[in-house]
Amino acid sequence: MRIRHSLATTVTALALATAVAACGGTTAKVGSGSAVKGTPERGGTVTVAEPSGASPDDIFPLPPSSNTNGYNENLTIGEWPYLVNIGVGGNSEVNQQESLYSSLTWSDNDSVITIVLKPWKWSDGTPITARDFTFVYNLLKANYNDWEAYDPGLFPTDVTKVTTPNLHTVVIDLNRSYNPSFYVDDVLTFVPLLPQHAWDKTSLTGTVGNYDETTAGARAVWNFLQKQGSNIGTFTTNPMWQVVDGPWTLSQFLNDGYYVWTPNKNYSGPAKPALSKVIFTPFTTDAAEMDTLRSGTSLTVGLLPLNDVGQIRALEHEGYSVAAVPTAGVAEIVPNLYNPVNGPLLRQLYIRQAMEYLINRKQILSDAFHGYGDPGNGPVPVNYGQQWDSPLEKAGGPYPYSPGKAEALLKAHGWTVTPNGTDTCQQPGTGASDCGAGVAAGQKLQFQLLYASGSAYFDQQNAAIQTSEALAGIHIVLKAEPFNTLVATTATCNAASHSGSVCNWQLQQFGYQPYEPDPNGSGIFNTDAVSNYGGYSSPEMDQLVNQTEYGSSASEFYAYEDYAAEQLPWLWLPDPSLPVVYKSNLAGVVPSSPFDFLLNPEAWYYVKPAA
Amino acid sequence: MTWYLIRRAGQSIAVIIGVMILTFILLHLEPGSAARSVLGLRATPARVAIFDSLYGLNKPLYQQFLIYVKQVFQGNLGISYQGLQPVSTLIAERLPRDAILLGMSTLLALLIGVPTGIYQALRHNRLADDVLAGTWFTLYSAPDFMEALLLIALVCVQLHLLPAAFPGGVASVAGLFADWPALVLPVVVLSINSVAGFSQYVRSTALQTLAEDYIRVARSKGMAERLVLTRHVLRNSLLPVITILGLALPDIVAGAVIAEAVFNFPGMGLLFWQSALAHDFPVMLGGTLIIGAATVLGNLAADVAYSVLDPRIRYGNR
Repeated sequence: MRIRHSLATTVTALALATAVAACGGTTAKVGSGSAVKGTPERGGTVTVAEPSGASPDDIFPLPPSSNTNGYNENLTIGEWPYLVNIGVGGNSEVNQQESLYSSLTWSDNDSVITIVLKPWKWSDGTPITARDFTFVYNLLKANYNDWEAYDPGLFPTDVTKVTTPNLHTVVIDLNRSYNPSFYVDDVLTFVPLLPQHAWDKTSLTGTVGNYDETTAGARAVWNFLQKQGSNIGTFTTNPMWQVVDGPWTLSQFLNDGYYVWTPNKNYSGPAKPALSKVIFTPFTTDAAEMDTLRSGTSLTVGLLPLNDVGQIRALEHEGYSVAAVPTAGVAEIVPNLYNPVNGPLLRQLYIRQAMEYLINRKQILSDAFHGYGDPGNGPVPVNYGQQWDSPLEKAGGPYPYSPGKAEALLKAHGWTVTPNGTDTCQQPGTGASDCGAGVAAGQKLQFQLLYASGSAYFDQQNAAIQTSEALAGIHIVLKAEPFNTLVATTATCNAASHSGSVCNWQLQQFGYQPYEPDPNGSGIFNTDAVSNYGGYSSPEMDQLVNQTEYGSSASEFYAYEDYAAEQLPWLWLPDPSLPVVYKSNLAGVVPSSPFDFLLNPEAWYYVKPAA
Repeated sequence: MTWYLIRRAGQSIAVIIGVMILTFILLHLEPGSAARSVLGLRATPARVAIFDSLYGLNKPLYQQFLIYVKQVFQGNLGISYQGLQPVSTLIAERLPRDAILLGMSTLLALLIGVPTGIYQALRHNRLADDVLAGTWFTLYSAPDFMEALLLIALVCVQLHLLPAAFPGGVASVAGLFADWPALVLPVVVLSINSVAGFSQYVRSTALQTLAEDYIRVARSKGMAERLVLTRHVLRNSLLPVITILGLALPDIVAGAVIAEAVFNFPGMGLLFWQSALAHDFPVMLGGTLIIGAATVLGNLAADVAYSVLDPRIRYGNR
């Protein structure tokens, strides 16, 4: 599971979330957006607000492992889209019309993929061919450890052979059978095509060759492209970056993250841009963005900061519409199962169960998000689509709010429960009615919850959790710090890599874990996964996660989903939707899936209001 | 005077080196890891090790410091961990913007504060003095972010007279002036507090000056009041202003983080603030170095200006 950062899906963007506002006793309801009516017009400029800190700094579409700035994808996806395009209207599904392939078939027990590329062209008129895919594959095969999006064991290391039987066909032999849905949705959505005829070189003045066909050559090309890609001053002047296959070209870029897209006049795809220019302009703070929106002049599209949801009516007065788009991910509190003090407590399933029983998710969803968001019943968002939600999750998950059940669980395991106080372990030991392994007599049920400061949403939600946990004597101490400080002082912790200095955290709540279109637990809940921050490890979970990658039956997915929901590697929380503000005469912004939200201005156009 | 300047220059270098050492130590005592801050939550130990090796963070602290000092003497302030750009480029981009913003606000404050201070002194303890003093103290006591937000709400949101925030895409200093309407509010907000300071210092000094014998002599000799004010009162009243201006130089270099944040002005203040949050040591070190240099330079300039404005003041005589 990689981390995507669209304009909407940064972890800290939760601070921008919610969809309804109360203002002076009036409430403005926000839907998911409907079609803007009127006569479509060609041309016009759209100015999109970039959230604070969302400045790209690398233009090469395969960023190195040392650069985790997810906003680079926002910059490059319009020029070099991925092989598989996700998002059809508001649905998170493959958009075959916009994808770079005309057919993608699986054979040999789902271990061979045959991809036929569309006969599209690069912006310089050169046809897009299978060679462009092998160029990408060769670069990644030789440099996968330095590719930011590399997930161990997956593309390209799971590929045994790539052949190109003709100009537009690629055959990929994999080292095992896969679930096609998983592979297409979660793996091929990270693989773009790159112009071999323009980029296969090792210096700016050197000639283009087939350097990528040897490991040494591929490394040299990779190093050259990485160096060029990080040179901000040449993003618009380096001729390499002008060879694109997406609907946009980059025409201006400034160091502070301001950039301008203009249409690729030779774009082969069906959705040719109607706008003549799209400007992405950075804002230092959400407040500055909000003030600009409210002055009603220079911004066309932006995200609505949470603290300003009361301004919806005023924004509508300024000619804006507001709509909510669900986030693609799961919101959570991560327990550090290997905290030196409280790890033994958090490793007890019954304690995690009691804590989950005490999170009043419905109340948080209702009060903090005014009903707009995912209820957080388990590891898969309910709003993700019917096909992903098991009956258990649809029914509200295994742990609906119940202080009584939480109290009973704790008492049954040897705890003296002190509502609004702090529980203590009275019966240490490993028996069925004891506190559990590693829990000492008299140990208190008290945890510190770290979360990112500066967000009213986080404050409100976590205060509610603190209050409800106290009903069964679980004492939560809240500690808010700037997001960057939290990231710098905490780390993924597990039994093997425990490090005291960065593993002293007990519970952390940083936002949400972004998902790919196939919302399985790969890379998150399997042992030692890169996003398994709290060190959860279970052979059964590993097996179930693997089954979702390798098998394609709904029952296998549900088995994983229900097991994760019940085992609580993380405590589940509601996940708010993201509100977008856009000029009312701009069509195409919504409805939108979370995967192309604000990233597909080729679908946007101004309309002249009907007379 | 020459000897004095040489001595002050030597002191300044010592101060700057001291600032460098202190800042370097303090930054590295800060809890947390730059690598983790930059690489994010998913940073694996292997990636952290690569990052530390890339930037020399795995070396002993004294070695890191010596490397840094060597770089500085070669004119290299290092590379920002976050933006992957040379620190000198980042500072060179933002410093001129702040110099214009804060320079203009200081100039505006001077243009309002100095005449007002002298006027208040002339109307000492009368209604006009009380009203002006009350006004300046009221504005001075209000936080600048509040003034900024109120002005935005009134001027931008209600009246739609000026842009609420600085537009992006300003690539040069000339670009700032091309978007001059966006400069108006930040300049006004930043000047408000300074006006109060300037006017009250000038008022106080002007009151003392007006009570001096030579003023009475000048008036008794029939010197025109305009000449008395410009030649004697104004000149002597400017001495405290020189001190304030000297101390303002590091402020100009350090930027105005709150105003920059509110008005979407990408200046030095926000650069340092964001760097501090992100453990971006090279930017913080570079910034501190520049601010330290501006501090000693500002003080030196104030001392020299004193001797020019007041011939009684001479440096270098023991």
